[in-house]
Amino acid sequence: MNSAYIGKLMELAEKDSNVIHLLADSGTGYDEMFRRNFPHQIYNFGIAEENMVAAAAGMATAGKIPFVFTAGAFLAYRSMEFIRDDVCFQNLNVKIVGMGSGLSWSSLGPTHHTTEDLAVLRAIPNLMILSPATPKQVMECVQLAYEHVGPVYIRIGMNHEKEFYPEDYRMQATANDTLMDGGDLAVFVTGSILEEVHKACEMLQADGVQPKLVNVTSIKPFQPQEVVAAAQAGMPIVTVEEHNIHGGLAGVIAEEVAFAGMGARVYPIGIEDVFAAGYGNQLMVRKANGLDAEHIYRRMKEVRTNE
Amino acid sequence: MANTQEEQQKLLHLRKQIFITGYKGGMAHLASCYSCLEMVYALYCKGILRFDATNPKWEDRDRFILSKGHAGLALYGVLMEAGLISEEMYHSYLMEDAQIGGEPCMRDCDWVEATTGSLGHGLSMGQGIAMALQMDQKDAGVYVMLGDGELEEGTVWEAVMSAPAFGLSNLVAILDCNDIQKMDFVEKTIGAPKWGEKFASFGWNVVEVDGHDMEAFTNCLLGLRETADRPTLVIAHTVKGKGVSIMEHNPNWHFKLPGRKELKVFKEELGITDAELE
Repeated sequence: MNSAYIGKLMELAEKDSNVIHLLADSGTGYDEMFRRNFPHQIYNFGIAEENMVAAAAGMATAGKIPFVFTAGAFLAYRSMEFIRDDVCFQNLNVKIVGMGSGLSWSSLGPTHHTTEDLAVLRAIPNLMILSPATPKQVMECVQLAYEHVGPVYIRIGMNHEKEFYPEDYRMQATANDTLMDGGDLAVFVTGSILEEVHKACEMLQADGVQPKLVNVTSIKPFQPQEVVAAAQAGMPIVTVEEHNIHGGLAGVIAEEVAFAGMGARVYPIGIEDVFAAGYGNQLMVRKANGLDAEHIYRRMKEVRTNE
Repeated sequence: MANTQEEQQKLLHLRKQIFITGYKGGMAHLASCYSCLEMVYALYCKGILRFDATNPKWEDRDRFILSKGHAGLALYGVLMEAGLISEEMYHSYLMEDAQIGGEPCMRDCDWVEATTGSLGHGLSMGQGIAMALQMDQKDAGVYVMLGDGELEEGTVWEAVMSAPAFGLSNLVAILDCNDIQKMDFVEKTIGAPKWGEKFASFGWNVVEVDGHDMEAFTNCLLGLRETADRPTLVIAHTVKGKGVSIMEHNPNWHFKLPGRKELKVFKEELGITDAELE
């Protein structure tokens, strides 16, 4: 996803010299290429995330469009007050890109896991929150962020995520994508865990169960049409995310259901309010936390049995 | 002191307005306002900052950020004195339908360059503006006023490190060095850091000035515009609570309004009548 991100950013930087690539000593692997092409549009602040976020706010007041990039954990947690006070309160045109969503930093443990960022940042007014699942979606989200005048947080993976979208895919603003259209249960997913969830849904199909699979890219604003439709059809609603089950996708959807009095039940699959266990590659850590395709499939089967 | 008679009268008037407004509002950081008042006045009213009074967003303007945002009433007071905001706006402070509160806020006022209040943000934001101005090859400067207690915030030092690295000769940090923070003297809280040496060690140009001497302060800042080849720290020595004897250099007054007996002193020394406080 990093290469998709930087590729798209270079395309924007070429067209618009106000697009600035800001780093805090943790880059995309392609930053030297960016620097060669656009030497006056890239700055490395060193290991100083708060300084970078606040400086980005300052730049935005002078007409720049800074894209701040580093590990999501260091943005959402360490720099949270700077995102809130300096960027979002003033509704400034700063794009905050957190790489290593969920358990991507699987070898380094919970200090690097980004499993509460949606909960933390979703509570901040004015902030658009995008959670792409695939490289093509990353590029579309960067384009959308560029076109949207105001603060945006984009949460991206970093481990060669599988592509589920065609070459000519164009994201429809903040709309959700229905990837499978079944009637037995409605599965909402966000981020790069889509790969596991897609497999799990195929396993359900092999059992003769037809899931509706909805990929949610825009966490905020959230478009509730598919949730409303599922509730009206009496389908059980399952959410899957590489994030705490509190405050993220499950939280968004549970709020929609409860606030509108839909009377549906939401079954959350995610990190169950713990610091994630295990080390290794991302799949190993997903397994250790019940978030690989097999575990997700079994949980969804249980939902079917309970209903 | 090299302030003219007329200026002294204006500053007395401003101290009075700040007190009346804060007193009526029911809370104010008076002592912090009074330590930096001469400097903020000089910035806006003695020709240090270049701005267009008819267009707060003029692209080539100099920027001033009050990073020690709790002195907001001093900034808003000077903006009123400079004719940039209305008296009505100023006196709405903490009233029903207030247009301003205790900290400078971009949402409330177009002349505020950065919303502050949480300490340790202003220098980084100012740095970002200075970088953008540099990218666009603009001649404008960025002035950020910090409190000495504020320097305890770690993020200040992130910007202290990076500003020289980015070659920001258009960035000036003004340290309102009044020796006192909220609960006590700075020295009693964290010892006696040699701020100038520390900034200099990171590559800053460092100068010292009397922060209540407007002529010296103005000459210092105008001089920097000609000579600076890197970011500059102006250490301005000031007296917290300047202008009211019982408040001067006294750590009890960070966020306090006078009681009945103390009020007499304020009224006498600032020339305030009972009617003005009603």
